[in-house]
Amino acid sequence: MYRYDEFDEAIVRDRIAQFRAQVARRLDGSLSEEEFVLIRQMNGLYLQLHAYMLRVAIPYGTLNSRQARQLALIAERYDRGYGHFTTRQNIQFNWPRLIDVPEILELLADVQMHCIQTSGNCIRNVTADHLAGAAADEIEDPRPTAELIRQWSTLHPEFSYLPRKFKIAVSGAVQDRAVLAIHDIGVQIVYDEDRGGIGYRISVGGGMGRTPMLAKVIRDFLPKEELLSYLEAILRAYNLAGRRDNKHKARIKILIHEIGIDAFRERVERIFARLDRSAIEVDAAERARIAAYFAPPPFADLPAASAVLEEARRRDSALDAFARTNIIRHRHPAYAALTVSTKPIGGVPGDVTAAQLRVLADLAETYSFDELRIAHTQNVVLPHVRLDDVPAVWARLVEAGLATANAGLVTDIIACPGMDYCKLATARSIPIAQAISERFADPARAAEIGPVGIKISGCINACGHHHVGNIGILGLERQGIENYQITIGGDATELAALGERIGPGVDAEAVPEVIERILATYLAERAPGETFADTVRRIGIEPFRPALAAPKEAVREAA
Amino acid sequence: MAAIKPPPLPAILHANALRGGEVVYFGASGWTTQLDEALVARDAATLARLETVRDARATEREVVDPALVGVALDREGRIIPGHYRERIRALGPTVRADLGPQAEGKHRHVSV
Repeated sequence: MYRYDEFDEAIVRDRIAQFRAQVARRLDGSLSEEEFVLIRQMNGLYLQLHAYMLRVAIPYGTLNSRQARQLALIAERYDRGYGHFTTRQNIQFNWPRLIDVPEILELLADVQMHCIQTSGNCIRNVTADHLAGAAADEIEDPRPTAELIRQWSTLHPEFSYLPRKFKIAVSGAVQDRAVLAIHDIGVQIVYDEDRGGIGYRISVGGGMGRTPMLAKVIRDFLPKEELLSYLEAILRAYNLAGRRDNKHKARIKILIHEIGIDAFRERVERIFARLDRSAIEVDAAERARIAAYFAPPPFADLPAASAVLEEARRRDSALDAFARTNIIRHRHPAYAALTVSTKPIGGVPGDVTAAQLRVLADLAETYSFDELRIAHTQNVVLPHVRLDDVPAVWARLVEAGLATANAGLVTDIIACPGMDYCKLATARSIPIAQAISERFADPARAAEIGPVGIKISGCINACGHHHVGNIGILGLERQGIENYQITIGGDATELAALGERIGPGVDAEAVPEVIERILATYLAERAPGETFADTVRRIGIEPFRPALAAPKEAVREAA
Repeated sequence: MAAIKPPPLPAILHANALRGGEVVYFGASGWTTQLDEALVARDAATLARLETVRDARATEREVVDPALVGVALDREGRIIPGHYRERIRALGPTVRADLGPQAEGKHRHVSV
């Protein structure tokens, strides 16, 4: 895992000292809130409905046990005993006091963490495939690339005041688990023998929000050693021409939409041709130095099948269910990546207690080469677990309430904090997720339905990724009441697609019944072997529209 | 500052405390976490007073994002925030009864 060098350490400590003084000046009145708000946002501190909220960066979703324990300590000492994993692979604390934030930042810095660039109009924390280094379908580990981008983008002077926030994601696998298409820039590692081996396919202009757009390819093959220059050219073209007059039209996706991808590409290539690349790029030795931090751990040479696990699965049907859903095939045949679901039936998606964080830290340390990953699905991953160890890991997860066998299923719902916490929300998200989760609590039923991604946002900003949910739910307000629009056909994989509304919005109480009907339509229509997404791709959204008919009556009947 | 549309009366002034972030209401003796201690503007004169407090430099030393919000009064004269958003703020997260003002037994007369 990457370790900060002295340079990183100095930046973070200086920044905390600066912020401590800024907080003091805000408290004594020498800084106005108008002046302070930009400063606190640059340090990841928001003001939400009930309290401040501190967003901590987890670069490319990778945590070690020491970091996880420190997050637990912060949750207990300065928050309310829990944290919330977000769709950007970060963790948020919902209740910090402003006066405590400098101390919290010091504790984070002690374990090489910080909140810089988790807010504001800058290049945000870089995200990546949560199975980096573990996935069986990996071309190359995306983390060295993500780390290089992190270093380049940290406090980049030219890009600290962009027209709007800017998100970059990296994937090094065939399957896209980083949702590249909804990022301002998506970096896909590709292999092309004719063009020199490994390089990047760069896409640009994706984003959610009120104007969702999928990213378009701007370069289908970029040599590795040109990455930072090319990113710099994209950012410069955007920084020069992106709109600053209207917040809703300020993202790069709008600029590209307005001038077209070809015109944007021309601008980027023109800037790129003039850049002094030697001043921007790092040499091969530095790239190798970074990559060495992400070298594969010393996997044991064990047989591909585990008699221990097979026997334990035969004995225990709950373990068997867990193994069927939450084990992900690993590049090393004797190992597995395990999804630790933060979505128990009726729970709050993404919330983990301090005690659970410590269990995860212990499990990572003992069984997974000291690594945890945070997925954009708000789940946690133990990336490198020996198959032989799965029963022991599972037993600890059961004790900690972390063994829900629902990865990728109907109850593995993404939900933003919504109006239970968020100042921007127009409706609640979490209670909708809970109601759906309880409705489909029966594991046999969830297994019958199979993989389906329900994603819920409590406002048009779409932190809950509803646009790319197989079933998307958007909470709005209509005449003083929470109202939910349902979309179908979104896809967050390499087959990225935006969902379409199937009709007018419905009341909160009706949502589970509507989901029930949508899934009933799918079960009636599906061809053998099809997932929900496959069926929708084949038959379109029309057959799903009747699901909205008179849902209230249906709810009353069911009650 | 652009003119902010006044809320329908009756109205109260609420904000988040600067130091701790908790939801507070402007009352007869300053900022309070008790909704029932909020000063209720039922007429233009009191509303104007709350607006003056909202815009005062001294207010900025104590709170963040002060805003006037419309409320209703129940039969016992208790204050009920008009919008569900403000009712959630008066209670705490609806998914965590153990957190926020509701955890201390506050504002039991409010329901989302």
